[in-house]
Amino acid sequence: MEDIREFIRIANTVHDELVKLRKDRHMKLLRRLADLAAKFQELARDSRKMGVSLARGWFTAAESSCWGVRRALGEMSCSISQIQPMAEGPRKELPKLSSLVEELRQLQQEFGDVHFDDEQNSLSVTTEPVTLDGLYLGPFRIQLQLDTLGRVYDMSPYSVIALDPHPASTDESVTHPHVRDERLCEGDGATAIKAAIEQGRLCDFFTLVRSILNTYAPDSPYISIDEWDGTPCYECGYIMGSEDAYYCSYCEHDFCEQCSTYCQSCEEVFCLQCAGQCENCQQMVCRNCIVKCAECGERFCNLCLDEDVCESCKQESEVQENEEQRENKDRTDDRPAAEAKSRPDEGPAKLAG
Amino acid sequence: MRILFIDNEGGGYADYLDIAEHTTIDQFFTIKMSGRSASDFLIRVNRQPVPQDYVLKEGDRVTITPTKIDGA
Repeated sequence: MEDIREFIRIANTVHDELVKLRKDRHMKLLRRLADLAAKFQELARDSRKMGVSLARGWFTAAESSCWGVRRALGEMSCSISQIQPMAEGPRKELPKLSSLVEELRQLQQEFGDVHFDDEQNSLSVTTEPVTLDGLYLGPFRIQLQLDTLGRVYDMSPYSVIALDPHPASTDESVTHPHVRDERLCEGDGATAIKAAIEQGRLCDFFTLVRSILNTYAPDSPYISIDEWDGTPCYECGYIMGSEDAYYCSYCEHDFCEQCSTYCQSCEEVFCLQCAGQCENCQQMVCRNCIVKCAECGERFCNLCLDEDVCESCKQESEVQENEEQRENKDRTDDRPAAEAKSRPDEGPAKLAG
Repeated sequence: MRILFIDNEGGGYADYLDIAEHTTIDQFFTIKMSGRSASDFLIRVNRQPVPQDYVLKEGDRVTITPTKIDGA
């Protein structure tokens, strides 16, 4: 883009948007001042009521009015603290058209090429390929939407578009540790970026965005570089983010949700290979919590054992006990008859002698 | 003499400053960005790169922009 006329045309668009921005700020301030004035009237009303109530000896009514005064004062204090910075306003005058044209020339010098899209009404530059800590991310286009400059405090007027995307393996919308859905998370650069846009310092704006793209802040990325390629599940190989990985403390590997479970007894997470299943309730149990029945040797969770014996064995043992008891009882009942049979019969024997 | 200084680190504010005559851009940087390395910044005078021994003049526009800024 070399045509001076095109520079002037773009500079005009930027200038108009900056005028809108200033006007919008003043309009917002006026609205807030109107709200504040309404609160003053409310305060005056409550104050008059309080005066009348006290004069007539209506103490309860005076207390109620005092409560209204207190509330109004609190709201006004909050409003004033919010309005004051708005009233301070920008320190600089609006840039002249010639200054904006110089900005565009400087932009071209700094970035090599500047593209103006007539249809989209956008101004774009392309960065050099970005590599952070050995991770190649490719070049990015910084696209400033000129017709939204006036709303810089309500919405982001620019996009950051990956031209050779190498997104995170677990989220394609993250093309850079600090870019998601083509929106840059500005971090420490937020205030300077807004100031640059508001003052029409176009080259500074693009330079600031480029500086953020060329910096990796490990404490606050959308996805860190370490996790950029994701973590494979040790069992099935599924690629997952660190938040979706489950660590088995037995085999010390990471697993996905499908290949892991948790122990019903101790609620620790384990992979399916390191967990067992209770023969009775079929719930998954870890090695620490699975216990063998002292009778049958099958594996159960501790909830399905009673004094180390499973329910089934316990029932069998009860049945056996009952049978033994019955047998013993039968034996005891049969003994007098048996004894009676074994004693000699005196009657008939005497007669024979 | 008076120059316009735009500090793009932090607030990004532009202010007029009074500095001593014959101050070079390197000296100015050392005063304003004490302890920092010039290689970590993009330094422009009147929108142009200048050598470090450039002597500042009345009305010069100095911009200092960090080349590394932490995103979030």
